[in-house]
Amino acid sequence: MAEPLLAVCDLSMTFLRRSSLFGRRERRIHALKEVSFAIEAGATLGVVGESGCGKSTLARCLLRLLQPSGGNVRFAGVDLLSLSDEAMRRMRQRMQIVLQNPFSSLNPRLNGFDLIAEPLRTHLTMSRKGMVEKVASLLAEVGLTSDFMGRHPHQLSGGQAQRIALARALALNPAFVILDEPTSALDVSVQAQIINLLIRLQRQRGLAYLFITHDLSVIQHISDRIAVMYLGEIVEEASSEQIFAEPQHPYTQALLSSTPSPDPASSRQRIILPGTAPSAANPPAGCAFHPRCAQVMECCRTVYPAPRPTSADRMVSCHLYESAQEMEKN
Amino acid sequence: MAILAVENLHLRFSTPFGAVYALRGIDFELTKGEILGLVGETGCGKSVTGRSVLRLLDDSARITDGRILFEDRDLLRLPEAAMREIRGRRIAMIFQDPATALNPLFTIGQQINDVLRAHIPGAADARRSRTIELLASVGLPDPAQMVEVYPHQLSGGQQQRAMIALSLAAEPDVIIADEPTTALDVTIQAQILDLLRTLQRKRAISVILITHDLGVVAETCQQVVVLYAGRVVEAGSATAVFANPQHPYTRGLLAALPRPGSRGSELKVIPGSVPSGLERVKGCAFAPRCEHVMERCRVNQPALASLTAAHQAACFLHEASVHG
Repeated sequence: MAEPLLAVCDLSMTFLRRSSLFGRRERRIHALKEVSFAIEAGATLGVVGESGCGKSTLARCLLRLLQPSGGNVRFAGVDLLSLSDEAMRRMRQRMQIVLQNPFSSLNPRLNGFDLIAEPLRTHLTMSRKGMVEKVASLLAEVGLTSDFMGRHPHQLSGGQAQRIALARALALNPAFVILDEPTSALDVSVQAQIINLLIRLQRQRGLAYLFITHDLSVIQHISDRIAVMYLGEIVEEASSEQIFAEPQHPYTQALLSSTPSPDPASSRQRIILPGTAPSAANPPAGCAFHPRCAQVMECCRTVYPAPRPTSADRMVSCHLYESAQEMEKN
Repeated sequence: MAILAVENLHLRFSTPFGAVYALRGIDFELTKGEILGLVGETGCGKSVTGRSVLRLLDDSARITDGRILFEDRDLLRLPEAAMREIRGRRIAMIFQDPATALNPLFTIGQQINDVLRAHIPGAADARRSRTIELLASVGLPDPAQMVEVYPHQLSGGQQQRAMIALSLAAEPDVIIADEPTTALDVTIQAQILDLLRTLQRKRAISVILITHDLGVVAETCQQVVVLYAGRVVEAGSATAVFANPQHPYTRGLLAALPRPGSRGSELKVIPGSVPSGLERVKGCAFAPRCEHVMERCRVNQPALASLTAAHQAACFLHEASVHG
């Protein structure tokens, strides 16, 4: 079988934080714990989880905007973590990121032309004329007219600014784009426009996406596969259909049932989780989810549930899905 | 029975670019003991409407017409001293970001105690036990301990619970909750919405829930009022509006939401964008974006008309069907 476009194996990220302002002791915060997944060319992996679960840290580690503390990332057959900084910078032409708030990610002093031309200037040598043509065609691709070359971010609506951010990300023809909550700051009607645009661009350009969000209805719409994160770990990974038809991890089940639906017909059993997610600086023993889990068993409090396949193409980290022999060992 | 009625509310902001007509005739009634959802996109006037009720508006805002009736008194014509009696004690407000609404310098207990002292005079230990009772009623763990805790020591969800406890301290009849769960994670949002429903049931509190999230409204509210460009475009029981939306804007909003099973398909989009409020709108404000637009929509403004006993819409499409 051909190698996937992106293969991530046991990726870990540990932050060191001083315990007090002048303290000497350092605490270890495990923001990512042995995260593994793969994305095929042209496909979308949705990453869903609540604040502090490590989803944005994951995005930054993949681009090496943060240096991961362990594991392995292979992109287009290249081991990213062993590249020199210069080689990594060249590699970033092929992998781009779009952030949640375009008004903080776009430089307010640059106009639309300079914002989109900046990556072209950094990585390529191009004539001014070639650059204007390229920027115009990128603007057209994201549904904006050439008038937007002269506009600054403050003259744009949220949806228009996010389109500029997208054009900028696409300028160097990447194969892979990380979308970190790209629609969370937008109104419903604008969100629909951006989602449609993302799907169209993916089909036209064969892009692979890592789509990070906390919104399950958005993620099921756009993703082929979904990874559910909790406290720095992927607790469940399966196809979009499997996650929504038959969520296995109790956390996934709770997430699905907490998402409000405007459909009057959907009268489902609501699972209301007690408490909040624990701090990554002081994670519970055993399964990180056990203090909030309605189906908690004795072994969950002490034994870490290693990720296990529950069928050929899905994975879950939960003692509920262990075989009888494995339970015996615990 | 209506505990609060907003009638023909008009409000404009003066800005460096000219007057912005933020509210252009808002009408709705809050029934006693019910949760009413005020829903719409950025700039539709939902937060300003909530703030108008308590007269918590910037200096640049001016209410130019309308009435807000609370127990047959018009809040807009009350002297400031009488209004102070109503704020907090009779009508309380919960904001989106509890971290900025709570005072960081005082413990949760002190802040609740202040409210109790102002509204319910009594012995200090009676107030303390009442504080603990309030913290317990909003589901904060270890309420006796929470009295001594500062806001920064709480998580976002716990801060919002503390904020709700604070707003309940004076036993108000009405709570205006402005995007109370928008800053929270979904599992925490589910907890807070559950708490609001419990309070409504147990204490017969009436709630105006301001939100942009149609799902939150559908699952929490009995009544819903949909705003567009400073006017009510559709209103009614949540069951009627969500099962059978009648205004093209409400339909467009619902169709724009991704649904289970819609994977990879093109989402329906409302073309164009919301008007800025700087121009005076002639006709229906939604007309430039409406797929059913007719000639008269560009000239006359449709009034909110009843479709059934529990459902109203402001659209000429329905006027035609009602009369024809």
